[in-house]
Amino acid sequence: MAEDKLREKYRKQRLNSEVERSKGINMKLKLYADRMSQPVRAVIIFCKKNGIDFEEIRVDIAKRQNLTPEYAEINPMKQLPAIVDGRFKLFESHAILVYLASSFPGVADHWYPADVFKRSKIHLVLDWHHSNLRRGPTTIVRNTVLAPVLGRPLNPEAAAEGEKFLSASLSKIESVWLKGNGRFLLGGNQPSIADLSLVCDIMQLELLGETERNRLLGPYKEVQLWIENTRNATNPHFDEVHKILMKAKEKLQNPRLKGANNEGGESDMKRTLHSRI
Amino acid sequence: MKLKVYADRMSQPSRAVIIFCKVNGIDYEEIKVHISKGQHLTPEFAEINPMKQLPAIADGRFKLFESHAILIYLACAFPGVADQWYPADVFKRSKIHSVLDWHHSNLPAEAEIILSSSLSKLESFWLKGNGRFLLGGNQPSIADLSLVCELTQLEVLDEKDRTRLLGPHKKVQQWIENTRNATNPHFDEVHRVIMLAKERQQHQRLKAAKNEGGSNMKKPLVSRM
Repeated sequence: MAEDKLREKYRKQRLNSEVERSKGINMKLKLYADRMSQPVRAVIIFCKKNGIDFEEIRVDIAKRQNLTPEYAEINPMKQLPAIVDGRFKLFESHAILVYLASSFPGVADHWYPADVFKRSKIHLVLDWHHSNLRRGPTTIVRNTVLAPVLGRPLNPEAAAEGEKFLSASLSKIESVWLKGNGRFLLGGNQPSIADLSLVCDIMQLELLGETERNRLLGPYKEVQLWIENTRNATNPHFDEVHKILMKAKEKLQNPRLKGANNEGGESDMKRTLHSRI
Repeated sequence: MKLKVYADRMSQPSRAVIIFCKVNGIDYEEIKVHISKGQHLTPEFAEINPMKQLPAIADGRFKLFESHAILIYLACAFPGVADQWYPADVFKRSKIHSVLDWHHSNLPAEAEIILSSSLSKLESFWLKGNGRFLLGGNQPSIADLSLVCELTQLEVLDEKDRTRLLGPHKKVQQWIENTRNATNPHFDEVHRVIMLAKERQQHQRLKAAKNEGGSNMKKPLVSRM
């Protein structure tokens, strides 16, 4: 099959980079990351789950480290995540996930199937995500719980807009992408990179606290189950990578913790939480 | 069963898919779905695409939407598509994915602030180097086609506005021309509806300018589908 030949070609290309690597230059995959960012988490979980050896280089958005000239050399768009694989640089999380799935040996087919029909559907969901689900959680969080921390005014109208987007997207996920008997998107019984990308986005709602999160996700039983399925399929990495988000959630939900924090409360939280959310 | 392409040529991503098919000799049947007449909202079209957007394709029983996904599918599934469009080389291919993804968040033609900054990024980064196309290429890829079709939506703007937006970006203008030349006569043919819409807009502006008592200008027919 043509696709098998292509996979083989990609593996050879990767192996050639590894040969370069073995010539003494440290060419381990570098991943520029801030775990408060949804697309960053998707890439990290993917790497860990698939045993991809990488070096995580923390770029703290709260400290504006993504805006430095040094980081602009890595990604002129100044966003996260970005990877450097030998001399190859790449950004945009979907492009990164596809690259990693295509070029690292040992990545199971279900993440990014060789079958052109299945693969196209994954591209479809990933593209749809950009214009739909991705806009929901970020908008809500930024205009409510994170607003004071970001030094922005609370904006309930903007948050309400974000909620509308979220609801519409979750409805579509239930009625279209989760249709059928599969445990994952597109009728799959194993997760793909699309599941990982979308679920990590929805996880951002954790910052709103349990009550709000439950209110927003409550009507969508299939979505909740799918989130759980994705989490189970990728644990313990899923939980480990989401730890920073859960810690941030606790700080937001427990004002007393803020004051008790010896590093100065509010400004410390600002540093922790101000991010590309 | 011939490939069916559901399209409205007023929509940027529809144009990219149609031009791609024509340039690559992909046999297809174009099924016009007029957005302005609400034809994308019918239950019949929802069977094709439950998201009610264009373009969409049906290849036998296989249905697909989202123009980038469609372009990739066509490049992979149809023989005779030259490698340049969607290279087999994983590094080149990944860069194309990167620019296509960037496109989603950065180039909808309606939002002027985003547009300005995106044009700058195109000029300074994606068109960096000596290539005639994005990513230093000397032949167009699906990314060139997709992004250029987005920008041709600006044709319906007032000439002054268009010049103001595109004027500072010489490389971008050259690249649009390069892409057009590389895909003509199909590029011009597929863009006829936009050029007709532009003429109608200009006609209406002239009329409105002649009228006393205020402007009667319709909004430009930009539609992000």
